[in-house]
Amino acid sequence: MNLHDLTIKSFNAGLKDKNFSVAEVAKEYFSAIEEKDSGFHAYLSLDKENAYRQAATVDALVAESKPVPLLAGVPLAIKDNILIAGGRTTAAAKILENYLATYDAGVIKKLKSEQALFLGKTNMDEFAMGASTENSAFGPTRNPHDPERVPGGSSGGSAAAVAADMALAALGSDTGGSVRQPAAFCGAVGLKPTYGAVSRSGLIAMASSLDQIGPITKTVEDAAIIFRAIRGEDRYDATSSAYEYRSDFLNINQDAVKRMVVGVPDEYFGEGISNEVNEAVHKAITALGAAGVQFKRISLPRTRYALSAYYIVMPAEVNSNLARFDGIRYGHREMFNGTLIDLYRENKSRGFGTETKRRVILGTFVLSSGYYEAYYAKAQKIRQLVKQDFDKAFDKSQGEGVDVILTPTTPTPAFKIGEKTNNPLAMYMSDTLTSPASLAGLPAISIPVKGVTGLPIGFQLIGNYFREDDLFDLGMFYEQLISK
Amino acid sequence: MAEINKKLLEHLADLSRLELTEDEETKFLGDLEKILNHCRDIKEVNTDGILPMTGGTRLKNIFRIDTDQDLAAEIIERENVKRAFPETEGDFLKVPPVFK
Repeated sequence: MNLHDLTIKSFNAGLKDKNFSVAEVAKEYFSAIEEKDSGFHAYLSLDKENAYRQAATVDALVAESKPVPLLAGVPLAIKDNILIAGGRTTAAAKILENYLATYDAGVIKKLKSEQALFLGKTNMDEFAMGASTENSAFGPTRNPHDPERVPGGSSGGSAAAVAADMALAALGSDTGGSVRQPAAFCGAVGLKPTYGAVSRSGLIAMASSLDQIGPITKTVEDAAIIFRAIRGEDRYDATSSAYEYRSDFLNINQDAVKRMVVGVPDEYFGEGISNEVNEAVHKAITALGAAGVQFKRISLPRTRYALSAYYIVMPAEVNSNLARFDGIRYGHREMFNGTLIDLYRENKSRGFGTETKRRVILGTFVLSSGYYEAYYAKAQKIRQLVKQDFDKAFDKSQGEGVDVILTPTTPTPAFKIGEKTNNPLAMYMSDTLTSPASLAGLPAISIPVKGVTGLPIGFQLIGNYFREDDLFDLGMFYEQLISK
Repeated sequence: MAEINKKLLEHLADLSRLELTEDEETKFLGDLEKILNHCRDIKEVNTDGILPMTGGTRLKNIFRIDTDQDLAAEIIERENVKRAFPETEGDFLKVPPVFK
Protein backbone atom coordinates (compact mmCIF):
# COMPACT_ATOMS: atom_id res chain seq x y z
CA MET A 1 0.00 0.00 0.00
CA ASN A 2 1.26 3.42 -0.94
CA LEU A 3 -0.26 6.24 1.12
CA HIS A 4 0.37 8.70 -1.69
CA ASP A 5 -1.93 6.81 -4.09
CA LEU A 6 -4.81 6.33 -1.64
CA THR A 7 -8.07 8.10 -2.38
CA ILE A 8 -11.28 7.65 -0.41
CA LYS A 9 -12.66 5.22 -2.98
CA SER A 10 -9.45 3.20 -3.31
CA PHE A 11 -9.17 3.06 0.48
CA ASN A 12 -12.73 1.77 0.72
CA ALA A 13 -12.13 -0.79 -2.05
CA GLY A 14 -8.88 -1.94 -0.42
CA LEU A 15 -10.69 -2.44 2.87
CA LYS A 16 -13.48 -4.47 1.30
CA ASP A 17 -10.98 -6.59 -0.66
CA LYS A 18 -9.08 -7.09 2.59
CA ASN A 19 -5.85 -5.75 1.08
CA PHE A 20 -5.30 -3.92 4.35
CA SER A 21 -7.07 -3.15 7.60
CA VAL A 22 -7.96 0.29 8.92
CA ALA A 23 -5.56 -0.29 11.83
CA GLU A 24 -2.68 -0.98 9.43
CA VAL A 25 -3.38 2.17 7.43
CA ALA A 26 -3.78 4.27 10.59
CA LYS A 27 -0.44 2.94 11.81
CA GLU A 28 1.20 3.90 8.51
CA TYR A 29 -0.18 7.40 8.83
CA PHE A 30 1.03 7.78 12.40
CA SER A 31 4.49 6.52 11.32
CA ALA A 32 4.50 9.05 8.47
CA ILE A 33 3.58 11.79 10.94
CA GLU A 34 6.30 10.72 13.37
CA GLU A 35 8.84 10.61 10.58
CA LYS A 36 7.97 13.85 8.80
CA ASP A 37 6.00 16.20 11.00
CA SER A 38 8.90 17.48 13.06
CA GLY A 39 9.91 19.19 9.81
CA PHE A 40 6.50 20.48 8.76
CA HIS A 41 4.53 20.96 12.00
CA ALA A 42 1.17 20.28 10.39
CA TYR A 43 -0.31 18.81 13.57
CA LEU A 44 -0.92 20.39 16.97
CA SER A 45 -2.14 17.19 18.60
CA LEU A 46 -2.70 13.53 17.75
CA ASP A 47 -5.34 11.20 19.10
CA LYS A 48 -3.97 7.70 18.67
CA GLU A 49 -6.21 6.15 21.29
CA ASN A 50 -9.51 7.12 19.68
CA ALA A 51 -8.08 6.58 16.19
CA TYR A 52 -7.12 2.96 16.91
CA ARG A 53 -10.41 2.37 18.71
CA GLN A 54 -12.27 3.60 15.65
CA ALA A 55 -10.03 1.47 13.41
CA ALA A 56 -10.89 -1.64 15.45
CA THR A 57 -14.62 -0.88 15.20
CA VAL A 58 -14.51 -0.58 11.41
CA ASP A 59 -12.17 -3.56 11.03
CA ALA A 60 -14.59 -5.71 13.01
CA LEU A 61 -17.44 -4.75 10.69
CA VAL A 62 -15.34 -5.49 7.61
CA ALA A 63 -14.26 -8.85 9.06
CA GLU A 64 -17.91 -9.80 9.38
CA SER A 65 -18.47 -8.57 5.82
CA LYS A 66 -20.97 -6.03 7.07
CA PRO A 67 -21.55 -3.01 4.83
CA VAL A 68 -19.56 0.06 5.80
CA PRO A 69 -20.00 3.64 4.56
CA LEU A 70 -17.56 5.07 2.02
CA LEU A 71 -15.87 7.16 4.71
CA ALA A 72 -15.55 4.34 7.25
CA GLY A 73 -12.08 4.30 8.75
CA VAL A 74 -10.83 7.05 6.41
CA PRO A 75 -7.97 8.79 8.28
CA LEU A 76 -8.75 12.48 8.45
CA ALA A 77 -6.97 15.52 9.87
CA ILE A 78 -9.18 18.17 11.48
CA LYS A 79 -8.36 21.85 11.77
CA ASP A 80 -7.94 22.81 15.42
CA ASN A 81 -10.85 25.26 15.44
CA ILE A 82 -13.37 22.42 14.98
CA LEU A 83 -14.60 20.82 18.19
CA ILE A 84 -14.24 17.11 18.90
CA ALA A 85 -15.77 16.38 22.30
CA GLY A 86 -13.19 15.73 25.00
CA GLY A 87 -10.28 16.72 22.79
CA ARG A 88 -8.00 19.71 23.15
CA THR A 89 -9.14 22.46 20.79
CA THR A 90 -6.94 25.53 20.72
CA ALA A 91 -7.63 27.40 17.46
CA ALA A 92 -3.83 27.78 17.69
CA ALA A 93 -4.37 30.46 20.34
CA LYS A 94 -2.54 30.68 23.65
CA ILE A 95 -5.74 31.73 25.41
CA LEU A 96 -7.27 28.33 24.52
CA GLU A 97 -4.09 26.32 25.09
CA ASN A 98 -5.74 23.97 27.58
CA TYR A 99 -9.34 24.09 26.38
CA LEU A 100 -11.09 20.72 26.10
CA ALA A 101 -14.08 20.72 23.75
CA THR A 102 -17.38 20.07 25.49
CA TYR A 103 -19.30 18.80 22.45
CA ASP A 104 -18.86 17.59 18.86
CA ALA A 105 -19.11 20.07 16.01
CA GLY A 106 -21.97 19.39 13.58
CA VAL A 107 -19.52 18.20 10.92
CA ILE A 108 -17.82 15.87 13.41
CA LYS A 109 -21.16 14.30 14.37
CA LYS A 110 -21.85 13.69 10.70
CA LEU A 111 -18.39 12.24 10.05
CA LYS A 112 -18.69 10.02 13.13
CA SER A 113 -21.98 8.66 11.81
CA GLU A 114 -20.06 7.82 8.60
CA GLN A 115 -17.49 6.08 10.86
CA ALA A 116 -14.56 8.23 9.73
CA LEU A 117 -11.35 8.22 11.78
CA PHE A 118 -9.64 11.32 13.16
CA LEU A 119 -5.83 11.25 13.32
CA GLY A 120 -5.44 14.57 15.06
CA LYS A 121 -5.89 18.33 15.01
CA THR A 122 -3.99 20.57 12.63
CA ASN A 123 -2.12 23.83 12.96
CA MET A 124 -3.59 27.09 11.72
CA ASP A 125 -3.29 30.83 12.03
CA GLU A 126 -4.55 31.86 15.46
CA PHE A 127 -8.37 31.94 15.38
CA ALA A 128 -8.09 31.36 11.60
CA MET A 129 -6.68 34.83 11.03
CA GLY A 130 -3.92 34.80 8.48
CA ALA A 131 -2.82 33.52 5.10
CA SER A 132 0.36 31.66 6.01
CA THR A 133 -0.10 29.70 9.29
CA GLU A 134 2.70 31.85 10.70
CA ASN A 135 0.27 33.41 13.19
CA SER A 136 -0.08 30.15 15.14
CA ALA A 137 0.78 30.63 18.82
CA PHE A 138 2.51 27.26 18.60
CA GLY A 139 4.87 27.95 15.69
CA PRO A 140 4.45 27.95 11.90
CA THR A 141 3.74 25.07 9.54
CA ARG A 142 6.02 24.56 6.55
CA ASN A 143 5.04 23.79 2.97
CA PRO A 144 5.82 20.15 2.07
CA HIS A 145 6.72 21.24 -1.47
CA ASP A 146 9.38 23.62 -0.14
CA PRO A 147 9.97 23.84 3.63
CA GLU A 148 11.35 27.38 3.25
CA ARG A 149 7.88 28.48 2.17
CA VAL A 150 4.53 28.86 3.89
CA PRO A 151 1.74 26.34 3.31
CA GLY A 152 -0.78 29.19 3.09
CA GLY A 153 -3.42 29.76 5.69
CA SER A 154 -5.25 29.79 7.77
CA SER A 155 -5.87 26.03 7.23
CA GLY A 156 -2.15 25.50 6.51
CA GLY A 157 -1.77 22.48 8.79
CA SER A 158 -4.65 20.65 7.09
CA ALA A 159 -3.29 21.38 3.60
CA ALA A 160 0.26 20.37 4.58
CA ALA A 161 -0.98 17.16 6.22
CA VAL A 162 -2.73 16.13 2.99
CA ALA A 163 0.17 17.22 0.76
CA ALA A 164 2.75 15.29 2.82
CA ASP A 165 0.58 12.14 3.01
CA MET A 166 0.11 12.57 6.74
CA ALA A 167 -3.68 12.32 6.28
CA LEU A 168 -5.86 10.98 3.49
CA ALA A 169 -7.97 14.13 3.61
CA ALA A 170 -8.69 16.99 5.98
CA LEU A 171 -11.20 19.57 7.10
CA GLY A 172 -10.39 23.25 7.12
CA SER A 173 -12.43 26.40 7.53
CA ASP A 174 -12.66 29.22 5.04
CA THR A 175 -13.65 32.81 5.84
CA GLY A 176 -11.94 34.72 3.03
CA GLY A 177 -9.92 31.96 1.40
CA SER A 178 -8.53 29.89 4.28
CA VAL A 179 -9.31 26.53 2.65
CA ARG A 180 -8.73 27.45 -1.00
CA GLN A 181 -5.48 29.39 -0.63
CA PRO A 182 -3.55 26.77 1.40
CA ALA A 183 -4.90 24.05 -0.91
CA ALA A 184 -3.51 26.00 -3.88
CA PHE A 185 -0.14 26.52 -2.15
CA CYS A 186 0.16 22.84 -1.23
CA GLY A 187 -1.11 21.30 -4.48
CA ALA A 188 -4.36 20.03 -2.95
CA VAL A 189 -8.05 20.48 -3.73
CA GLY A 190 -9.92 22.80 -1.34
CA LEU A 191 -13.65 23.51 -1.28
CA LYS A 192 -15.46 26.39 0.37
CA PRO A 193 -19.13 25.41 0.27
CA THR A 194 -22.06 27.76 -0.26
CA TYR A 195 -22.68 29.75 2.90
CA GLY A 196 -25.22 27.70 4.84
CA ALA A 197 -24.49 24.39 3.10
CA VAL A 198 -22.43 23.08 6.03
CA SER A 199 -23.19 23.58 9.72
CA ARG A 200 -20.95 25.96 11.64
CA SER A 201 -21.97 24.50 14.98
CA GLY A 202 -18.80 23.73 16.90
CA LEU A 203 -16.57 25.79 14.64
CA ILE A 204 -14.81 28.42 16.78
CA ALA A 205 -16.33 31.48 15.17
CA MET A 206 -14.21 34.07 13.42
CA ALA A 207 -16.58 36.01 11.14
CA SER A 208 -19.98 34.36 11.32
CA SER A 209 -21.46 35.68 8.08
CA LEU A 210 -18.47 34.34 6.12
CA ASP A 211 -17.16 31.20 7.89
CA GLN A 212 -17.70 27.82 6.25
CA ILE A 213 -16.09 24.45 6.92
CA GLY A 214 -14.77 22.65 3.85
CA PRO A 215 -12.67 19.65 2.80
CA ILE A 216 -9.01 19.69 1.71
CA THR A 217 -8.30 16.59 -0.37
CA LYS A 218 -6.12 15.04 -3.06
CA THR A 219 -8.88 14.86 -5.68
CA VAL A 220 -12.11 16.63 -6.57
CA GLU A 221 -13.97 13.36 -6.08
CA ASP A 222 -12.71 13.09 -2.49
CA ALA A 223 -13.85 16.66 -1.86
CA ALA A 224 -17.29 15.76 -3.22
CA ILE A 225 -17.48 12.66 -1.00
CA ILE A 226 -16.65 14.62 2.15
CA PHE A 227 -18.92 17.49 1.19
CA ARG A 228 -21.80 15.05 0.68
CA ALA A 229 -21.18 13.70 4.19
CA ILE A 230 -20.90 17.00 6.06
CA ARG A 231 -23.49 19.16 4.30
CA GLY A 232 -27.08 19.59 5.42
CA GLU A 233 -29.29 21.20 7.97
CA ASP A 234 -28.28 21.25 11.60
CA ARG A 235 -30.57 22.47 14.33
CA TYR A 236 -27.60 23.98 16.13
CA ASP A 237 -26.83 26.36 13.25
CA ALA A 238 -29.79 28.51 12.27
CA THR A 239 -28.09 29.52 9.00
CA SER A 240 -27.60 25.91 7.85
CA SER A 241 -29.74 24.84 4.92
CA ALA A 242 -31.73 21.74 4.03
CA TYR A 243 -31.11 22.37 0.33
CA GLU A 244 -31.80 19.28 -1.77
CA TYR A 245 -28.77 18.57 -3.92
CA ARG A 246 -28.90 16.18 -6.85
CA SER A 247 -28.20 12.78 -5.38
CA ASP A 248 -25.62 11.51 -7.85
CA PHE A 249 -23.08 14.26 -7.77
CA LEU A 250 -20.19 11.83 -7.62
CA ASN A 251 -20.90 10.85 -11.22
CA ILE A 252 -19.75 13.42 -13.73
CA ASN A 253 -22.55 14.75 -15.83
CA GLN A 254 -20.59 14.83 -19.11
CA ASP A 255 -23.44 16.43 -21.04
CA ALA A 256 -23.75 19.18 -18.45
CA VAL A 257 -20.02 19.89 -18.72
CA LYS A 258 -20.24 20.15 -22.51
CA ARG A 259 -23.16 22.54 -22.22
CA MET A 260 -21.51 24.64 -19.53
CA VAL A 261 -20.46 28.20 -20.14
CA VAL A 262 -17.44 29.10 -18.05
CA GLY A 263 -16.91 32.78 -17.35
CA VAL A 264 -13.40 34.20 -17.19
CA PRO A 265 -13.46 37.59 -15.47
CA ASP A 266 -10.90 40.16 -16.61
CA GLU A 267 -10.54 41.57 -13.11
CA TYR A 268 -8.95 38.37 -11.80
CA PHE A 269 -6.07 38.39 -14.27
CA GLY A 270 -4.84 41.94 -13.87
CA GLU A 271 -2.34 43.77 -11.74
CA GLY A 272 -0.60 41.81 -9.01
CA ILE A 273 -1.10 38.40 -10.63
CA SER A 274 2.28 36.80 -11.24
CA ASN A 275 3.23 35.57 -14.71
CA GLU A 276 3.63 31.99 -13.55
CA VAL A 277 0.09 31.97 -12.10
CA ASN A 278 -1.32 33.61 -15.22
CA GLU A 279 0.37 31.09 -17.49
CA ALA A 280 -0.59 28.08 -15.40
CA VAL A 281 -4.25 29.06 -15.18
CA HIS A 282 -4.39 29.69 -18.93
CA LYS A 283 -2.92 26.25 -19.42
CA ALA A 284 -5.92 24.79 -17.56
CA ILE A 285 -8.29 26.96 -19.62
CA THR A 286 -6.67 25.78 -22.84
CA ALA A 287 -6.91 22.12 -21.81
CA LEU A 288 -10.60 22.47 -20.94
CA GLY A 289 -11.30 24.48 -24.09
CA ALA A 290 -9.66 21.82 -26.26
CA ALA A 291 -11.98 19.26 -24.67
CA GLY A 292 -15.04 21.22 -25.71
CA VAL A 293 -15.79 23.41 -22.67
CA GLN A 294 -17.08 26.84 -23.70
CA PHE A 295 -15.51 29.95 -22.22
CA LYS A 296 -16.80 33.48 -22.10
CA ARG A 297 -14.94 36.62 -21.14
CA ILE A 298 -16.87 38.49 -18.45
CA SER A 299 -16.46 41.44 -16.14
CA LEU A 300 -17.07 41.61 -12.38
CA PRO A 301 -16.32 45.33 -11.99
CA ARG A 302 -16.78 45.66 -8.24
CA THR A 303 -14.23 42.91 -7.54
CA ARG A 304 -11.59 45.59 -7.01
CA TYR A 305 -13.46 46.83 -3.93
CA ALA A 306 -14.14 43.38 -2.48
CA LEU A 307 -10.94 43.06 -0.49
CA SER A 308 -11.53 46.43 1.17
CA ALA A 309 -15.09 45.50 2.08
CA TYR A 310 -13.84 42.15 3.37
CA TYR A 311 -11.22 43.76 5.61
CA ILE A 312 -13.92 45.93 7.18
CA VAL A 313 -16.78 43.44 7.53
CA MET A 314 -14.57 40.60 8.76
CA PRO A 315 -12.76 42.42 11.63
CA ALA A 316 -16.10 43.84 12.78
CA GLU A 317 -17.41 40.30 13.19
CA VAL A 318 -14.11 39.09 14.65
CA ASN A 319 -14.39 41.82 17.22
CA SER A 320 -17.76 40.62 18.44
CA ASN A 321 -16.95 36.88 18.23
CA LEU A 322 -13.69 37.16 20.13
CA ALA A 323 -15.20 39.17 22.97
CA ARG A 324 -16.01 35.84 24.64
CA PHE A 325 -12.35 34.95 25.11
CA ASP A 326 -11.75 36.88 28.28
CA GLY A 327 -10.40 34.33 30.76
CA ILE A 328 -13.82 33.75 32.29
CA ARG A 329 -15.26 30.70 30.56
CA TYR A 330 -12.52 28.80 28.79
CA GLY A 331 -9.27 27.27 29.82
CA HIS A 332 -6.51 28.81 31.79
CA ARG A 333 -6.82 31.77 34.17
CA GLU A 334 -4.00 33.45 36.01
CA MET A 335 -4.48 33.75 39.78
CA PHE A 336 -5.69 37.24 40.06
CA ASN A 337 -6.32 40.02 42.56
CA GLY A 338 -7.88 42.76 40.45
CA THR A 339 -11.43 43.38 39.27
CA LEU A 340 -13.28 41.66 36.48
CA ILE A 341 -12.32 44.24 33.90
CA ASP A 342 -8.65 44.00 34.87
CA LEU A 343 -8.92 40.26 34.36
CA TYR A 344 -10.32 40.67 30.84
CA ARG A 345 -7.54 43.07 29.97
CA GLU A 346 -4.87 40.84 31.46
CA ASN A 347 -6.08 37.67 29.74
CA LYS A 348 -6.74 39.17 26.33
CA SER A 349 -3.45 41.04 26.26
CA ARG A 350 -1.47 37.94 27.19
CA GLY A 351 -3.60 35.38 25.38
CA PHE A 352 -4.01 37.02 21.95
CA GLY A 353 -1.29 37.20 19.31
CA THR A 354 -0.42 40.35 17.36
CA GLU A 355 -2.65 39.70 14.34
CA THR A 356 -5.64 38.93 16.57
CA LYS A 357 -5.14 42.16 18.50
CA ARG A 358 -4.76 44.12 15.27
CA ARG A 359 -8.06 42.78 13.89
CA VAL A 360 -9.94 43.24 17.15
CA ILE A 361 -8.85 46.88 17.26
CA LEU A 362 -9.64 47.39 13.58
CA GLY A 363 -13.09 45.92 14.28
CA THR A 364 -13.62 48.25 17.22
CA PHE A 365 -12.66 51.16 14.98
CA VAL A 366 -14.98 50.39 12.05
CA LEU A 367 -17.87 49.82 14.43
CA SER A 368 -17.35 52.92 16.55
CA SER A 369 -19.56 55.93 16.47
CA GLY A 370 -18.37 58.43 13.89
CA TYR A 371 -16.71 55.78 11.72
CA TYR A 372 -19.49 53.18 11.47
CA GLU A 373 -21.28 54.78 8.49
CA ALA A 374 -18.12 55.50 6.53
CA TYR A 375 -16.63 52.05 7.03
CA TYR A 376 -18.90 49.27 8.26
CA ALA A 377 -22.21 50.40 6.75
CA LYS A 378 -20.50 51.35 3.50
CA ALA A 379 -18.69 48.01 3.32
CA GLN A 380 -21.98 46.14 3.70
CA LYS A 381 -23.31 48.01 0.68
CA ILE A 382 -20.17 47.19 -1.29
CA ARG A 383 -20.72 43.57 -0.30
CA GLN A 384 -24.17 43.78 -1.87
CA LEU A 385 -22.64 45.19 -5.09
CA VAL A 386 -20.04 42.41 -5.22
CA LYS A 387 -22.88 39.91 -4.90
CA GLN A 388 -24.89 41.68 -7.61
CA ASP A 389 -21.94 41.37 -10.01
CA PHE A 390 -21.93 37.62 -9.49
CA ASP A 391 -25.74 37.42 -9.76
CA LYS A 392 -25.57 39.19 -13.09
CA ALA A 393 -22.84 36.87 -14.37
CA PHE A 394 -24.90 33.79 -13.50
CA ASP A 395 -28.22 35.22 -14.71
CA LYS A 396 -29.40 33.27 -17.77
CA SER A 397 -32.06 35.66 -18.96
CA GLN A 398 -30.62 39.12 -18.44
CA GLY A 399 -26.98 38.59 -17.54
CA GLU A 400 -24.00 36.75 -18.95
CA GLY A 401 -25.56 33.37 -18.29
CA VAL A 402 -22.40 31.59 -17.18
CA ASP A 403 -22.59 28.42 -15.08
CA VAL A 404 -19.20 28.59 -13.45
CA ILE A 405 -16.52 31.28 -13.15
CA LEU A 406 -12.86 30.32 -13.50
CA THR A 407 -10.06 32.39 -11.95
CA PRO A 408 -6.65 31.90 -10.35
CA THR A 409 -6.93 31.04 -6.63
CA THR A 410 -3.97 33.12 -5.51
CA PRO A 411 -1.97 35.98 -7.05
CA THR A 412 1.34 34.11 -6.56
CA PRO A 413 2.54 30.64 -5.57
CA ALA A 414 3.60 30.01 -1.95
CA PHE A 415 5.78 32.79 -0.56
CA LYS A 416 8.77 32.49 1.76
CA ILE A 417 8.39 32.12 5.51
CA GLY A 418 8.82 35.55 7.09
CA GLU A 419 8.36 37.37 3.77
CA LYS A 420 5.10 39.11 4.75
CA THR A 421 4.94 38.87 8.53
CA ASN A 422 5.90 42.50 9.01
CA ASN A 423 3.54 43.81 6.38
CA PRO A 424 -0.05 42.90 7.22
CA LEU A 425 -1.46 44.64 4.15
CA ALA A 426 0.75 42.52 1.86
CA MET A 427 -0.46 39.43 3.72
CA TYR A 428 -4.10 40.55 3.31
CA MET A 429 -3.56 40.80 -0.46
CA SER A 430 -3.35 36.99 -0.47
CA ASP A 431 -7.15 37.01 -0.12
CA THR A 432 -7.75 39.24 -3.17
CA LEU A 433 -9.09 36.48 -5.42
CA THR A 434 -10.86 34.38 -2.81
CA SER A 435 -12.66 36.95 -0.65
CA PRO A 436 -15.21 38.05 -3.31
CA ALA A 437 -16.93 34.62 -3.40
CA SER A 438 -16.85 34.61 0.42
CA LEU A 439 -18.57 37.98 0.61
CA ALA A 440 -21.25 36.79 -1.82
CA GLY A 441 -21.63 33.43 -0.01
CA LEU A 442 -20.96 31.44 -3.21
CA PRO A 443 -19.33 28.00 -3.39
CA ALA A 444 -15.77 27.92 -4.70
CA ILE A 445 -13.14 25.25 -5.14
CA SER A 446 -9.40 25.42 -5.75
CA ILE A 447 -7.96 22.72 -8.00
CA PRO A 448 -4.24 22.23 -8.73
CA VAL A 449 -3.20 22.99 -12.31
CA LYS A 450 -1.70 19.76 -13.61
CA GLY A 451 1.69 19.67 -15.26
CA VAL A 452 3.10 22.73 -13.51
CA THR A 453 6.81 22.52 -12.79
CA GLY A 454 8.00 24.06 -9.54
CA LEU A 455 5.61 25.22 -6.86
CA PRO A 456 1.93 24.19 -7.05
CA ILE A 457 -0.58 26.65 -8.54
CA GLY A 458 -4.33 26.41 -8.20
CA PHE A 459 -7.24 27.62 -10.25
CA GLN A 460 -10.53 28.52 -8.64
CA LEU A 461 -14.02 27.61 -9.84
CA ILE A 462 -16.85 29.72 -8.40
CA GLY A 463 -20.39 28.40 -8.80
CA ASN A 464 -23.88 29.72 -8.26
CA TYR A 465 -25.57 29.25 -4.86
CA PHE A 466 -25.83 25.57 -3.88
CA ARG A 467 -24.32 24.50 -7.20
CA GLU A 468 -21.33 22.65 -5.80
CA ASP A 469 -22.31 19.92 -8.27
CA ASP A 470 -21.23 22.16 -11.18
CA LEU A 471 -17.84 22.63 -9.54
CA PHE A 472 -17.46 18.87 -9.03
CA ASP A 473 -18.56 18.07 -12.60
CA LEU A 474 -16.11 20.49 -14.18
CA GLY A 475 -13.35 19.71 -11.67
CA MET A 476 -13.58 15.94 -12.12
CA PHE A 477 -13.82 16.42 -15.89
CA TYR A 478 -10.53 18.38 -15.74
CA GLU A 479 -8.81 15.77 -13.58
CA GLN A 480 -9.85 12.91 -15.88
CA LEU A 481 -8.84 14.89 -18.94
CA ILE A 482 -5.36 15.42 -17.64
CA SER A 483 -4.82 11.91 -16.31
CA LYS A 484 -5.72 10.43 -19.72
CA MET B 1 -3.44 62.94 8.06
CA ALA B 2 -3.71 59.60 9.76
CA GLU B 3 -7.22 58.78 10.91
CA ILE B 4 -6.05 56.85 13.95
CA ASN B 5 -3.70 58.78 16.22
CA LYS B 6 -2.13 57.60 19.46
CA LYS B 7 -4.98 58.91 21.57
CA LEU B 8 -7.66 57.19 19.48
CA LEU B 9 -5.67 53.96 19.37
CA GLU B 10 -5.45 53.92 23.15
CA HIS B 11 -9.19 54.50 23.36
CA LEU B 12 -9.88 51.68 20.89
CA ALA B 13 -7.57 49.36 22.82
CA ASP B 14 -9.38 50.24 26.01
CA LEU B 15 -12.77 49.50 24.44
CA SER B 16 -11.33 46.21 23.17
CA ARG B 17 -10.08 45.38 26.69
CA LEU B 18 -6.51 45.22 25.41
CA GLU B 19 -3.37 46.70 26.86
CA LEU B 20 -0.82 47.47 24.17
CA THR B 21 2.91 47.75 24.73
CA GLU B 22 4.77 50.80 23.40
CA ASP B 23 6.10 48.66 20.54
CA GLU B 24 2.65 47.37 19.69
CA GLU B 25 1.26 50.90 19.68
CA THR B 26 3.92 52.13 17.28
CA LYS B 27 3.48 49.15 15.01
CA PHE B 28 -0.33 49.27 15.02
CA LEU B 29 -0.43 53.01 14.27
CA GLY B 30 1.53 52.33 11.09
CA ASP B 31 -0.28 49.11 10.18
CA LEU B 32 -3.80 50.43 10.73
CA GLU B 33 -3.12 53.53 8.66
CA LYS B 34 -1.83 51.38 5.79
CA ILE B 35 -4.83 49.06 5.99
CA LEU B 36 -7.38 51.88 6.21
CA ASN B 37 -5.64 53.75 3.42
CA HIS B 38 -6.26 50.72 1.22
CA CYS B 39 -9.84 50.24 2.42
CA ARG B 40 -10.78 53.88 1.82
CA ASP B 41 -11.17 53.14 -1.90
CA ILE B 42 -14.75 52.03 -1.15
CA LYS B 43 -15.62 55.67 -0.51
CA GLU B 44 -15.41 56.38 -4.25
CA VAL B 45 -18.22 53.91 -5.03
CA ASN B 46 -21.73 55.30 -5.38
CA THR B 47 -23.93 53.20 -3.11
CA ASP B 48 -27.07 55.35 -3.17
CA GLY B 49 -30.13 53.17 -2.88
CA ILE B 50 -28.11 49.99 -2.27
CA LEU B 51 -29.32 47.85 0.61
CA PRO B 52 -26.57 46.65 2.94
CA MET B 53 -25.88 42.91 2.80
CA THR B 54 -26.05 42.02 6.43
CA GLY B 55 -25.49 38.28 6.36
CA GLY B 56 -23.81 35.63 4.30
CA THR B 57 -26.99 34.01 3.21
CA ARG B 58 -30.10 34.66 1.23
CA LEU B 59 -31.98 32.11 3.29
CA LYS B 60 -34.71 33.17 5.63
CA ASN B 61 -34.04 33.31 9.33
CA ILE B 62 -35.00 30.31 11.39
CA PHE B 63 -36.31 30.82 14.89
CA ARG B 64 -35.66 28.23 17.54
CA ILE B 65 -38.01 27.42 20.34
CA ASP B 66 -36.71 28.91 23.58
CA THR B 67 -37.85 25.99 25.68
CA ASP B 68 -36.26 23.24 23.65
CA GLN B 69 -35.05 21.11 26.52
CA ASP B 70 -33.58 18.36 24.33
CA LEU B 71 -31.49 20.89 22.54
CA ALA B 72 -30.16 22.39 25.73
CA ALA B 73 -29.51 19.02 27.34
CA GLU B 74 -27.69 17.65 24.36
CA ILE B 75 -25.45 20.57 23.64
CA ILE B 76 -24.66 21.77 27.11
CA GLU B 77 -23.06 18.98 29.03
CA ARG B 78 -23.10 20.60 32.42
CA GLU B 79 -20.06 18.87 33.82
CA ASN B 80 -18.01 19.51 30.71
CA VAL B 81 -18.79 23.18 30.78
CA LYS B 82 -17.92 23.36 34.45
CA ARG B 83 -14.64 21.61 33.76
CA ALA B 84 -13.76 24.19 31.12
CA PHE B 85 -14.31 26.95 33.66
CA PRO B 86 -11.05 27.98 35.31
CA GLU B 87 -12.37 28.39 38.86
CA THR B 88 -15.33 26.70 40.52
CA GLU B 89 -16.61 26.11 44.02
CA GLY B 90 -19.18 23.35 44.24
CA ASP B 91 -21.71 24.10 41.53
CA PHE B 92 -20.74 27.77 41.47
CA LEU B 93 -18.52 29.38 38.88
CA LYS B 94 -16.09 31.88 40.37
CA VAL B 95 -15.17 35.22 38.86
CA PRO B 96 -13.27 38.15 40.33
CA PRO B 97 -15.23 41.04 41.88
CA VAL B 98 -16.77 43.56 39.51
CA PHE B 99 -15.85 46.47 41.81
CA LYS B 100 -13.04 46.92 44.27
